[in-house]
Amino acid sequence: MLQDGSTQLLCLTASSGVPLFTRGASKQLPFSVIGSLNGVHMFGGGQGALLSSCETEGGGKVVWKVFHDSVMLIAVSGGGSSGACSGAEMSRLQRLLENVWSCMVLVLGQDELVNLRNIERLKRDLRSCFCLIDQLLEEKHQGVLGNLTHCADSLVPPNPTPLQEALDGFAQAADSEFGCLFVHGRIVVATEKWWRLAPQEVVLLCALVRTLSASGSASCDYPVFLPQGSPTVAHRLLHFQLLPGADVCVLCGPTPSLQKAETELVGRLWSPLIETLRSCLAVGERCLPGSVPLRPDVLALLLINRETRRSVSCVQISSHHPLSDSSLSKSRCWELLELFYIFSISRYFTQDETLCGSPEESTQSSHTEDFLHGFSHQPQQCYLVTEDCKCYGFQTQQHQFFLLMLPSVPTFALRTVATQTLTDIISATAF
Amino acid sequence: MMARVTPGAFIVPDWHRCKDSKEYFNKIIQKKNRKNFGLLESPVMPPHAAVDTLDYKVFISGKSGVGKTALAARLAGLNIPSVHHETTGIQTTVVYWPVKLRENGRVLFFRLQLWDCGENALRRFDHLLPSCKEQVDAVLFLFSFTDRTSFQDLSNQMTKWTESTDCLVKVVVGTKFDLFMHCDVAERDVRKFQETWRLPVFHSGGEVSDRLGDVAPILNCLAENLWHQDCVRAGAAGRQQQHKTRTLP
Repeated sequence: MLQDGSTQLLCLTASSGVPLFTRGASKQLPFSVIGSLNGVHMFGGGQGALLSSCETEGGGKVVWKVFHDSVMLIAVSGGGSSGACSGAEMSRLQRLLENVWSCMVLVLGQDELVNLRNIERLKRDLRSCFCLIDQLLEEKHQGVLGNLTHCADSLVPPNPTPLQEALDGFAQAADSEFGCLFVHGRIVVATEKWWRLAPQEVVLLCALVRTLSASGSASCDYPVFLPQGSPTVAHRLLHFQLLPGADVCVLCGPTPSLQKAETELVGRLWSPLIETLRSCLAVGERCLPGSVPLRPDVLALLLINRETRRSVSCVQISSHHPLSDSSLSKSRCWELLELFYIFSISRYFTQDETLCGSPEESTQSSHTEDFLHGFSHQPQQCYLVTEDCKCYGFQTQQHQFFLLMLPSVPTFALRTVATQTLTDIISATAF
Repeated sequence: MMARVTPGAFIVPDWHRCKDSKEYFNKIIQKKNRKNFGLLESPVMPPHAAVDTLDYKVFISGKSGVGKTALAARLAGLNIPSVHHETTGIQTTVVYWPVKLRENGRVLFFRLQLWDCGENALRRFDHLLPSCKEQVDAVLFLFSFTDRTSFQDLSNQMTKWTESTDCLVKVVVGTKFDLFMHCDVAERDVRKFQETWRLPVFHSGGEVSDRLGDVAPILNCLAENLWHQDCVRAGAAGRQQQHKTRTLP
């Protein structure tokens, strides 16, 4: 139906099947196909059956979901997605639909989407979500894995304490308990309450801040509806670009005004930290401070803290390294890291389910491969040797760790390298 | 109403084309593009040539879809969004612009913070408009050449803003001037409007070819009028001091 690897998203009204928007994939599906996709779901409904997903002969996959009896989202993927197994692809699409719906709620509020009064108007309003939705559909995240892991992409600064203090002070001065500092679109520090938001909300807010930051605006007063915490009452997200690439935001009530917060608080509380912020910017895409040594044969890593729902990831390509005769590009490394994560999560480990979604969801998405059910135990470590790289993953009570290494690393040494790398990171950063 | 300022009466017109402006304009340009400054930054001149920065708040007013966000991006030298969507809430953009005073050759950096807010959001959320009006110094009134109603609505908007405050610089910009095939507002109507209201009217639209030249007329006009307004205010208060002078770090 579609090109390999591309995903298309369709949004229709649930009752009448009026198309509201389509996103993704350069070539749109013909209207007749969209009509049939809606029709077959409706037909099932008439027979008392709920159609939730299907697979085409060519390996394409379709997932349907109706939200609040008002909006239907359909995700169509072209299949052939570089080796990802079908179950993993299905759960990716299901998760995508959840996330897209949450984006729509975040920007427009649930009421607007549930009580469809003026469809033309809604179509227009929905365009404000496209930036965010496109970010979810984007194949090449280049270093942002939150949509996949539902963990907040983080950057560990060399010296977090002054930043944490400044942020706490700033949030308090802005009458807010929810504050967060971003560098390169990743969370550096956040207030304690920020971490009590639903993990999915944290990931969405991160995505929103990334789009606001990319627009080049200096500050914003953006009404947001928290999909789980407050889907019908808007909060204000105040966003300030401190330096290009360094953003701070707070979620607050009616006060203070944007003008007041900006003129009275931003300069006063953040100017003293300008050098500290610059040192965070210098950490760059590595996301780990220079004090963390990484072996030169490490290609990429993803570390998830299962308790705090945070993750750090990085790709390390040293082009002039004698060992790296491989022609792996940076984007290919990110892709391989994602694929290895999906592979491990869908076959061996469990993805810590977030609090979101109805119970019906969790049964659906926990079709974590029949493969797993064949085991009497839960695997804790896994490895994979490919032509491009060698991969090692393992989980502990607190962490999940995924490591990609050069093929030149002896397979028997993978485990030692992986545990040592994790120990180095944790002892240096207490992540 | 304040008397209209003749262009070039207070500042050197087209100063960005003069040689002596180069060292100042270089501070707002990076690799041929306009430099993006965070809130904690500003253009810094060497100590011997330190320059004062004057800070102003400019609200962009206009019907939904006329191109408020696109104009803000154009003035700031950012990428102009290719597809229209309603701006959610308030977005502000900072523009630094160096200006040379005619009278004494003094150079000033104008820091214009453009406030852009989606019309639907303004209607839906009560707190946004007061926030935009708070301590505003100037309003850019926008109409689109392709939408006659947006032009007819101008006087309405203007009256609304004049009621609340007297000290306000007003500049009118007609957008989408490049789409002459769909032009819905005649040149003579614009001229008539200009005579009646005695306000500067600009047009904008199309590809940006000369980055500074494209925005210089509008920014210079804003700067000149804001400067004049400050002088009038300062004169009225009987002192020559600028109320909002910010010294550079």
